[in-house]
Amino acid sequence: MIPLVFYLGLSALLFSIGIYGVMTHKNGIRMIMCIELMLNSANLNLVAFSSYTGTLNGQVFAIFSIALAAAEAAVGFAIFMAIYRMHDKINLDELKILRW
Amino acid sequence: MESLTMGNLMFLAPEIAVVSTGLIILLIGVFMSPRTKNVLGYLATLGVLTALVLTVESFGTNAALFSGTISIDALSQFFKLVFLAVALIVSLAAIKYNENSDHTEEFYTLVLFATFGMMVVASANDLILLFCAFELASLATYALAGFEKQNARSLEGAMKYFIIGSVSAALMLFGISFVYGATGTTSIPAIAANPAILTGNPIGLVAIVLLIAGFGFKMALVPFHMWAPDTYQGSPSVVSALLAAGSKKMGFVAAFRVFILALAALQPDWQLAFTVLAVVTMTFGNVVAVSQTSVKRMLAYSSLAQAGYIAMAFVVMTPMALTGSIFYTLAHAFMKAGAFIAAAAVVWMVSSGKTDRLDIPDHLDNFKGLGKRMPFAALSMTIFVFALAGIPPTAGFMAKFVLFSSTIQAGMTWLAVIAILNSALSLFYYARLVKYMYFLPPEGQKIRMPFPYAAALLFAVAGVLAMGLWPEPFLQWAMEAAKVLV
Repeated sequence: MIPLVFYLGLSALLFSIGIYGVMTHKNGIRMIMCIELMLNSANLNLVAFSSYTGTLNGQVFAIFSIALAAAEAAVGFAIFMAIYRMHDKINLDELKILRW
Repeated sequence: MESLTMGNLMFLAPEIAVVSTGLIILLIGVFMSPRTKNVLGYLATLGVLTALVLTVESFGTNAALFSGTISIDALSQFFKLVFLAVALIVSLAAIKYNENSDHTEEFYTLVLFATFGMMVVASANDLILLFCAFELASLATYALAGFEKQNARSLEGAMKYFIIGSVSAALMLFGISFVYGATGTTSIPAIAANPAILTGNPIGLVAIVLLIAGFGFKMALVPFHMWAPDTYQGSPSVVSALLAAGSKKMGFVAAFRVFILALAALQPDWQLAFTVLAVVTMTFGNVVAVSQTSVKRMLAYSSLAQAGYIAMAFVVMTPMALTGSIFYTLAHAFMKAGAFIAAAAVVWMVSSGKTDRLDIPDHLDNFKGLGKRMPFAALSMTIFVFALAGIPPTAGFMAKFVLFSSTIQAGMTWLAVIAILNSALSLFYYARLVKYMYFLPPEGQKIRMPFPYAAALLFAVAGVLAMGLWPEPFLQWAMEAAKVLV
């Protein structure tokens, strides 16, 4: 059996890549992809823990969170679509009417 | 496993009322013409009012439903009251906002589903349910924040809210996964039952950091607040009222359940973090609010400051401080929702006139002489801002009195001094708004206030004054709710 630490290491790595991506990318679609990466690393954690603790809660949780991630992406793409219609691009750095 | 009976479902009557109203509105709205859709607003108000009455009637019941994942107790009922009061104010005011709109049914359905999500968070006794309900409320409010699809400000606010909100959801989920991994369960009482696993465990610390970041975004505590002013300013004012008064309280009730109930073993760790967050949040919010010229943005920063006061409960942790802080959430719900609705009335007035500054409809200049142009809006705004500053005889005064005096009783005089100094500072920008409304000459015609705004403001004013003049029953409820936590 693969030790738990490997799963946790992988998910921590994925999570860090996700956070790094959200902070550095300017394109809305890429940001959503990075957020998905973060959510999925948490799912990986849940499933790994579920298998190692012998309880099923984690797997149930992972299924719920996959569905929620899909709903979240749908809402996000809807917002970006509206932004795209107005600005003809989704470079989020250029949205700066609201500040201070 | 207990079976699902009618008796069990009766405990969920308020939730069922809210959801079924939302579904009915979505269904019949499709077949209605834009002109007749105004009825939907009254229908939503009626549904929320029913749920409110059912919640108040069910005070004092205790039950655990669905294998203990839902707990009906004083805490959950109190916060349901908060969310339903906000939903009532918002759906009343939105009758005018949605006049002749083609998307009325979507608006009300989203408001009602968001309210439902918040209500479930308030009674969630399991981290899976808590996370799902949290996301339900978040997703509905992302869509609401960007409801004006042609308005660049609304979209920008929604975009920032969405990005930061979903990052915080991911942080929260990651944190919850560690709590689950360490304890092997997601049930809040079961996590609390074996404190030995989490204390001194590095996984516990990682979970605390991630969860504070996750909930801190929703509560808009200072390092995690960046979205709040932009979203509150950009969104339609009725939605800002829902976000500032409702959605923020959802963050607090979730944090109460997760930190104080589930992770009680790690109290020294999160207490330290919340001490820093509370002090920084209230100071930053008040200092930045002073220089704002957009009234909605000023209210947003003031709502950061108020979140700092409410977060003092995590620092002091005595039953009286928790009572004060829970009472404060109800008071703040009325004051802030009311203030945003008054701002909504002004934005409506500006958009229907021609003489005002249209580029920033909620600019302070547009509030000049509001006492003559819309006397009731100005009067109620005055009551709300004085309540926010903590002037008697309003709800804000009672809330601050209970919270700050319990802080002093607990021996944390330094914290109380910081909070009181902050309150004094906040009076400056609230009084400036009152000066604009009453002492500067009006720049436009007198305008008749639309009925929905007037009704929403009247309800909020009644709540603020009732809690200030006759606080005993509310304090009693808050005390019962605090007993669940200690």
